[in-house]
Formats: sequence, C-alpha cells, structure tokens
Amino acid sequence: MSRSPGFPDPAVLGPAIPGPDVVGPDVVVLRVTSEIDAAEVRQEARRLALRHGFSTVRAHGLATAVSELAMNLVLHTTRGGLIRLTAQDTPDASVIELVAEDDGPGIPDLALAMEDGFSTRGGLGCGLPGTRRLVDSFTITTRVGEGTRIVCQVRRP
Amino acid sequence: MHGVGQILQQNRAGVLDAWLAKLRDTAPGAQPGSLQLLKLELGTLVEKLTAYFLLDDGDGAGPAFKAVEEQAATISAACVRDGLTPMETATLILSLKTIAGEMLDRETSAKATELYRMRTALDAVVDRLALITFAAFVETREEIIKRQGRALLDLATPALPIWRNIILMPLVGIIDTQRARQVMEWLLEALSREEARIAILDVTGVPLIDSRVALHLTKTVEAARLLGSQVIVTGISPDAAQTLVKLDVDLSNMITRGTLRAGLAEAFRLLGPHAKGAHETML
Repeated sequence: MSRSPGFPDPAVLGPAIPGPDVVGPDVVVLRVTSEIDAAEVRQEARRLALRHGFSTVRAHGLATAVSELAMNLVLHTTRGGLIRLTAQDTPDASVIELVAEDDGPGIPDLALAMEDGFSTRGGLGCGLPGTRRLVDSFTITTRVGEGTRIVCQVRRP
Repeated sequence: MHGVGQILQQNRAGVLDAWLAKLRDTAPGAQPGSLQLLKLELGTLVEKLTAYFLLDDGDGAGPAFKAVEEQAATISAACVRDGLTPMETATLILSLKTIAGEMLDRETSAKATELYRMRTALDAVVDRLALITFAAFVETREEIIKRQGRALLDLATPALPIWRNIILMPLVGIIDTQRARQVMEWLLEALSREEARIAILDVTGVPLIDSRVALHLTKTVEAARLLGSQVIVTGISPDAAQTLVKLDVDLSNMITRGTLRAGLAEAFRLLGPHAKGAHETML
C-alpha cells in the first residue's frame, strides 16, 4: 500500500480537491465565492451542455453566461451565491435552466443595470445585458438589501 | 484531580506499549522504519503529557500544555511524512483515551466520582490533542496547495522575443484577476526590455473569454499603446467570436487575428518592408 505523504486516502475523506456538488446526472449546484469557483462552474456548464447535445457554440455561450453571472456573485456580494444548472431532456429537445441567486446587496436600478455599458465596478458593463443575449429566456428579480435571483434558459430544438 | 499524572508516570511503559500496538493496527501499511521514528515521537508525547498532569491539573493552559501541544503538532507532521491519513492520525491520538482510561480504571483505588473526574480531565486533553493534530494536518496540506498554486502561476506566462521587434505571449489556462494583472505586467516589462514594437497575445489556450477577460485584454492593449507598442490578439476561437458578438464586447480598438500565423503576418505588415529583412536583423 503506497500513499503519497500529505494526501489522505480518497476513499476515507472524499475527493482531495472539493469538486462541484453533483446532485444527479442532470443537476449541478455550486456555491460561488471566488474566481476559482466561477471558473469551475462554467466548465461544468459547458460539459453539461455538450452532454445534452448542444452545439459547441451554444455550450460556449452558456458557459460564458454562467461565467458572467458567477463573476457578478464574486464581485458584488460579500458571501457569494449559488449557481444551479438543471438539464432536462425530451425526446427531440433539451432545456438547460441556469439559476443564480444570492442574498447580496440587490440592484437598486435594475433598468440601468440591464443597459449596455453601465458598470458599478469598472467592468465593461455588458455582463447582464450580454448574458440576456446569450440565453433564450432571462428573468431577474432583485430586492435591495435582500438579494438577486436570475433564472435563464437555453433550449435546443 | 491529582492522580492522573502519578498513574501515568508509574505506567508509562505500559501505556506506550499499548499505544504502539494500536499504531500497528491503525497503519498496517506504514514502513517499519518510519514507524520506529513515530514510536519515539509518541514516547515523547506520553512523557510530556505525564509532566503536564504532574505539574498542573488539567485546564489546558500554561507552558507544560504548550509543550504537549507542540509535540502533538510534531506527531502530526510525522504522520503526514509516514503517509498516514488524517483519519488514521486522529484515530491514533484518540485511542490514547481508551488506553489511558482503562489504565486509570485498573490502577486507581479512588472512588467512582474521583475516577470520573480523572477520566474527564484526560478526555478533554486528548480531544484537544486530536484537534491540534488535525489542524496541523490541514495546515500542512494548505501549505502544499499554496506552493503548487505559486508554481503554476510562475510557469504560466512566458514572453518570448520571437523576432526583432516582436514578442509573443501565449496565454494558457484560466485568466483570473491575478493572472491578468501579471500578464499585463510581464508583457509591458518584456516590451520595454526588448524595445519591441509588436506584442502578439495568443489566447488559443484560454478556455473562455467573458467580459472580465475582455476587459483585461483591453486594458493590456491600452497600456502597451502608451509604450508605443501594438498588441495583436490571436487565437480567438469561432465559438468565442460568436459569443463575444452576442455579449457585445467592444474589441474594435484591438487588432485581432484568427490564428497565430495570421497574427505574425499582420505583425510583419505593421513593421513594414524591413522587418523580415536579412538574417542578421532577425534578432
């Protein structure tokens, strides 16, 4: 029995590197608090899309949307937030739902935040409007001081 | 609560023997040679523990306990070295409770309440030790992870002078804020060191370009322009291109080319007819 020192037996303690919490074959949930989490969740998103028959462009688009929302969680909330991806297949179609929610500061002026070129943190200001263009449906609910919840869907005929 | 120390002192050899037997059960796969070293450390821990109980009656403070704590951390490091898992290490430390506890039962003639108090004191100390070894274990691993992270960051972004006046910087992997800052720093440094007029930033190895990465690219291009150099971004994949259009990221102030080859051709074009010139001007 040989083990590298410092790395415990994975069978005892679970994976050495904490991976995303894969709830079922079609659901990926990850708490996003740092840039590394954002990178991880968008990789998972791309894999999920490819697994469900989306084209590479669509998978790339979804991954980018996830990345934008995840980076919003990192940049604008202190405690991060949750990203949940759910894929649902029907015989000739597939839908992936992307939910990003947090209990952060909320968005005071939603209309302004959805405008191109507006940014509070020196970004390019295309995160939210860009995300909306990358997905097929986009709903955002936000309350100042309570948090923000964004639900998106991408579909494949 | 006097008594624990004396009993430990009288039965040190017995406790250590039982503990070592436990060690063999806990880590059957460990090398006999390294177990020998671990035995010494465990022996020292029993010694320090005895000293602590003899000196001070068990509220986990003072220099005597400090010595016990330090020894526990040493043991944790030794366990890491010998390939024990944190689970095995914690089990090993916690088994002292049973071993020493049974010995207290055997050796003391004290009343039940007195015995109970002795065991409670012992349990508290051993629990504390288990936590300390575990914390030390985690610390060791954190340190390893941090070192690996730094190593990765170091090898991530070379700036290569590939031609007279031209620097190539291939980006591979995730561009987070820290990396983006480093890319900019190194690129500008290389540009001024080599007095290069063109930098080719190849993003073929970047898995995804979102608005954040695009922002970093834009800033790098702007900064290079201030040095009098131009940046050509190459290797944006067709998928990324379509996504960037939808995101509506403005990259119009940036020279971009699909492939590194096209980027190099553009660099030569920008440098004019003398760029490719004779061989002696190549470097």
